[in-house]
Amino acid sequence: MHEISLVRNIFRALDSEFDQEELAKLNQIDLKVGLLSNVEPILMQNAFEAVTQDENRFLETKLVVNVVPILIECELCGNVSEVRNYSFKCPNGHPTKNIIQGEELTIERVHFAD
Amino acid sequence: MAAEKSSKAARGTVQCDNSSFNLLKANDFVADTIRKHVKEKQVLLINVTSSAGSGKTTLMQETAKRLSSKIKMKVLVGDLETERDADRIRETGIEALQIVTGGICHLEAQMVWQAMEQISLEGTDLLFVENVGNLVCPSSFDLGEDYRVTLLASTEGDDKPKKYPKMFHTSDLMLVSKSDLLPYVPFSVEAAIQDAKDVNPDIEVMQISSTNGDGIDEWCDWLMEKVNEKKHREVIA
Repeated sequence: MHEISLVRNIFRALDSEFDQEELAKLNQIDLKVGLLSNVEPILMQNAFEAVTQDENRFLETKLVVNVVPILIECELCGNVSEVRNYSFKCPNGHPTKNIIQGEELTIERVHFAD
Repeated sequence: MAAEKSSKAARGTVQCDNSSFNLLKANDFVADTIRKHVKEKQVLLINVTSSAGSGKTTLMQETAKRLSSKIKMKVLVGDLETERDADRIRETGIEALQIVTGGICHLEAQMVWQAMEQISLEGTDLLFVENVGNLVCPSSFDLGEDYRVTLLASTEGDDKPKKYPKMFHTSDLMLVSKSDLLPYVPFSVEAAIQDAKDVNPDIEVMQISSTNGDGIDEWCDWLMEKVNEKKHREVIA
């Protein structure tokens, strides 16, 4: 359900960064979503559709949600590894919360019609 | 916040910078405002989360009974509808304000900030924000809290930390609640702790029961220590 709030935030961010006439030409929005950000791509798509219809904007715009895995860097051995099954341990078994990727929740790119 | 519009010609593909296009930017901005405000007022702010029905409100009542003679505490409580939880907390003699989210499944920093404007923090030592009962959505929203405390009731099952990793990953303390029911339910405290530590190596764990008082002293001691630490820290700073 918090996807609705996030979609409204997409609109807010776009409104503050681009002019309305530019946004009228917006074809596609690429989101970068870390696995740890708690965003479910399908729910984000549904929320996007709901809010675009509710606000009657971006009806022709495509939303692409790119999920990126969680990466940690061990403070002890310097290993960079992917977190699987939400187990925050490096390959040598050291527990760590030193996350270098996976918490993203951003608009990565936007595509306009030429 | 973002004052100037992008000067880039909006044609083709535009790469976006992380800070302006962070979807939680507005929430995080208000959360930082709250953090500064409670720092100034020397108030410890605790965000209490859990599933619905894990005993958050009952714990607020028990905590009020034990600590209201020692410190001044207040509670902001979020629910989709009704004033019931705030009423229950007020029965113990402390000030509580209900935040009715009207269908939203989590509290956002802006809601907490607006509610904070309606209560006085003068002389307050401890402010609880009892979040909407939900282990998913509230985990993404920073409320400017000093600590996030998550309850996991013995009746819910010990598998929740791995099922809802973000909430336990972002919590400072996990309270295994309704411990008086442990003999009657298939819940392994060891398994729950192991999973919680796996998703969050730094998480602290306590076992409590608001019904028979198990662990409530330890919980109140933890709170008093954090209240004192916060005051001491602000005095030194």
